[in-house]
Amino acid sequence: MKFNLPPIRRDHVSFETLANLYAQTKESVFEDIVIDMSATNWFDADMCAAFGAILHSLGNRLNEIHLRNIPKNVELILSKNNFLYHYGRKRIPDEYETTITYQRFDVEDAHYFASYIENELIHRSEIPKMSLGLLKKFRGSIFEIFSNAVSHSRTEFGIFSCGQFFPKRNQLDFTIADLGIGIRQNIKEILGLDLSWVEAIVWATEGNSTTRRDNLPGGLGLKLLCDFIDLNGGCIKIVSDAGYWHRIKREIVTKQLKYPFPGTVVVLELNTADVGIYQLTSEEIDPEDIF
Amino acid sequence: MPENIRISIYEVVGSPLCVASDDGQKVFERLSIAFKTDRNVVLSFLNVTTLTSAFLNAAIGQLYGQFSEEKIRALLKVEDAEQDDLVLLKSVVDNAKLYFKNKDRYNRVFREALNNEA
Repeated sequence: MKFNLPPIRRDHVSFETLANLYAQTKESVFEDIVIDMSATNWFDADMCAAFGAILHSLGNRLNEIHLRNIPKNVELILSKNNFLYHYGRKRIPDEYETTITYQRFDVEDAHYFASYIENELIHRSEIPKMSLGLLKKFRGSIFEIFSNAVSHSRTEFGIFSCGQFFPKRNQLDFTIADLGIGIRQNIKEILGLDLSWVEAIVWATEGNSTTRRDNLPGGLGLKLLCDFIDLNGGCIKIVSDAGYWHRIKREIVTKQLKYPFPGTVVVLELNTADVGIYQLTSEEIDPEDIF
Repeated sequence: MPENIRISIYEVVGSPLCVASDDGQKVFERLSIAFKTDRNVVLSFLNVTTLTSAFLNAAIGQLYGQFSEEKIRALLKVEDAEQDDLVLLKSVVDNAKLYFKNKDRYNRVFREALNNEA
């Protein structure tokens, strides 16, 4: 089968496109899947995490993927960030070092993921100099997303990540995707609540929920991320099933996608010029008064 | 076995990045054994550079499902933690107390709030 891929941006339209690709191919087994990218004249590099997740699920069903007619500008960026290397192309050196490598991790790869983050984001001179407080919060936030995917998604296909930074705009984009059961289904199975897709994302970001099956309290991860992004002046986007949610300057926008994404994607857009101190409360915590 | 035990999170995890729930579980298991035998524990955060709520939920949050608040408060002390780590730990602890006090009510309250917003 053939699928024509339009430009891919970090918005609900592109998530709908990728979900549509999944919807059209989810029954495919042992097929040649041709993705014609002649109209893909733009590709937000971190969206490789979501795109790669869907292509990986196709490969798992032993379909052969052919990415065809990739415009030069898109081919260049997707070669620099290692994405096309997964599909038989050569890796091109990233002379400006603005890409954060596309990578897939298994759920038990937390330590490997930690090394990836250190190598890609912390120990690189090209990454804009962020304040120590911001760097620590950013690193913690990425791990919160990864831990969330490991704890809640029950994915068998792993976790996909990719990023890109824009020195002139002082912006760093980072996306983590999984092909798990999604937030809505997780809440339904564990708590018996039948929420809409968007309500389910709201639930997960309110910080007062838990969907662990192993008697662990939880649910703080996404709430902490939102608190951090509010202070940073960045943006967070979450797609889970047919729910699209984004938060920027404490304003929330939600939409329902025409086709459900087969998992959860979290996108962070970080303002790297931020010099915030990052203590989420002005109150000093006394170590003697925690428990 | 000594009366007071010092547990280094860095040593248990083997890394300054304390992010995975599974690693938190290793810390929990040590704390749980110590508390069952009424040992005082000093939990050291020395050399830990990154923490997540998932790690702390597993390491410390779930203690509240097994031991009373009074017992945890009496036996557990933390050392060498930076102020922002203490803020995160406090959030995790408060969340865990609330969760284990009444799991059913905890979930019902949110549902009611959601219905009221609709």
